[in-house]
Amino acid sequence: MILVAASSNLTNKIKQGLILSLSIYLGGMSFAARNAHADPSESQLVLTGSSTVAPLAAEIAHHFEKMHRQVRVDVQTGGSSRGIADARRGLADIGMVSRHLKPAEEHLWEFPIAYDGITLIVHKSNPVDGLSNNEVREIYQGRINNWKMLGGRDAPITVVNKAAGHSTLELFTDYFHLKQQEIRASVIIGDNAQGIKTVAGNPDAIAYVSIGAAAYDSGQGLPIKLLPVDQVSPTLFNLQSGKFPILRPLNLVTLEVPEGWVKKFIQFARSPEMKSIIQEQYFVPRPD
Amino acid sequence: MLCTGVAVGVGLFFFWLIGDIFLKGAPGITWEFLWDEPENAGRKGGIAPVLVSTAAILLVTLGTAVPIGFGTAVFLAEFSQGKTTLGRMVRRALDVLASVPSIIFGLFGNAVFSHWMGLGFSILSGGLTLACMVLPILIRTIEAGLRAVPLSTRLSAAALGLSRVAVLRDLIFPAAVPSLAAGLLLGLGRALSETAALIFTSGYVSRMPESLLDSGRSLSVHIYDLAMNVPGGDTHAYASAWVLIVLLFSINGLTALCLDHWGKTRMRGL
Repeated sequence: MILVAASSNLTNKIKQGLILSLSIYLGGMSFAARNAHADPSESQLVLTGSSTVAPLAAEIAHHFEKMHRQVRVDVQTGGSSRGIADARRGLADIGMVSRHLKPAEEHLWEFPIAYDGITLIVHKSNPVDGLSNNEVREIYQGRINNWKMLGGRDAPITVVNKAAGHSTLELFTDYFHLKQQEIRASVIIGDNAQGIKTVAGNPDAIAYVSIGAAAYDSGQGLPIKLLPVDQVSPTLFNLQSGKFPILRPLNLVTLEVPEGWVKKFIQFARSPEMKSIIQEQYFVPRPD
Repeated sequence: MLCTGVAVGVGLFFFWLIGDIFLKGAPGITWEFLWDEPENAGRKGGIAPVLVSTAAILLVTLGTAVPIGFGTAVFLAEFSQGKTTLGRMVRRALDVLASVPSIIFGLFGNAVFSHWMGLGFSILSGGLTLACMVLPILIRTIEAGLRAVPLSTRLSAAALGLSRVAVLRDLIFPAAVPSLAAGLLLGLGRALSETAALIFTSGYVSRMPESLLDSGRSLSVHIYDLAMNVPGGDTHAYASAWVLIVLLFSINGLTALCLDHWGKTRMRGL
């Protein structure tokens, strides 16, 4: 009984203490936050969006900060859709989007900084050297399900598809006139690296991935082979001249006409000096 | 026989995993790697800012989660013996929270800490989000430890006229220290390996953080990005994974050492 009586007293004390310390803590936090935002001598740019563009944008930001010490450029990721949403709501100064804008998004301003091509890859040991657009479509619809039907080995085809929401998936289905629900995939993947690793580890797999990443990994000795699309080889020349058919822009988007530091950053990202940095990230610079 | 086989299999798997990361990661480990800033999206340079951000995030997480967690656990174990409605409610809520996927915590942290409280993408938002995430595990482990102290101890102490506070401080807490450490380790492990929740809260910026309100990239986010979004980032992804594992091991070891030390001095005190 004594224990119970003492305990209710102590419970109250603990409760009060907890509430007090929590409010002090939170109060301190928001005060600190307000102070930081009030610093006028430093400008901050926030970029959010596509995880494909983010490493490139972060590199560009790094060089931009070296030239303009008073500006900080924070690059965050989360996907193209988030880049659009954040730019719309004003949460980001610049959104990063790795595809063309859709009709409903055309009120935003888009500035391509580089391009990325998509091609099909198979295992190096696969004797098939090229596929017609129709063959690709039938493979992904499940109507061609054995490499023998295409002059290859007698082995079932492992169809690798991307998870919904990836802009490479949209680009791929648009180009080959496929509907997302008619694709019969054996493996669903997220990022390019995962697709490349899947094909390198499975001699009967086919996947579509970003050309830059695939070219780099095949150069590093990974057993993958890049296939031409519509008989156009995925070479840098074909990409830059616009001859290669499946190409997506890497865009910076803004809600308003860019001004001030936003304008300077976009100009810097599109300047010829950035070409080598774009190529270092295995993307295709804009043609002159 | 079968059980032995399975156990050996599990052990082998562990060594395979660790061995793989150590073999592929070790060549990339140099002093420069630990001291330099990342260059060329992390393919070159080092991980110094990433390490600092990770440490800062963990400090915020522990600084928030340990006091709140300890208080709640004491309340649950000592002041609500399973019968009160509040106690039941809190316990149920914690069990549900413990099974919530981390991405949900990420979105919650992004909405509450980053936007509603105005902390933006910052080490603080990330640490607070992780604190919410590790709280359920922390509280339930500490509570179990406090409950494990036999009732006879409490009764004898009360019979001797010791106050409730003295019993808690001198008898029950020391006995519950191993469980506190276990809870901390579980929480730390979960926090260190977290990616999804941090991408949306502490963010992706790999600059050296100057305050807790700067965005900072944690080690696991760095590894994820190098492995998934950066062609040619594999070597440094492995090296960073090596650092992460060494970090986990040393935290484990350090906790064990402290426990040992603390246990001994306490015993002498009694």
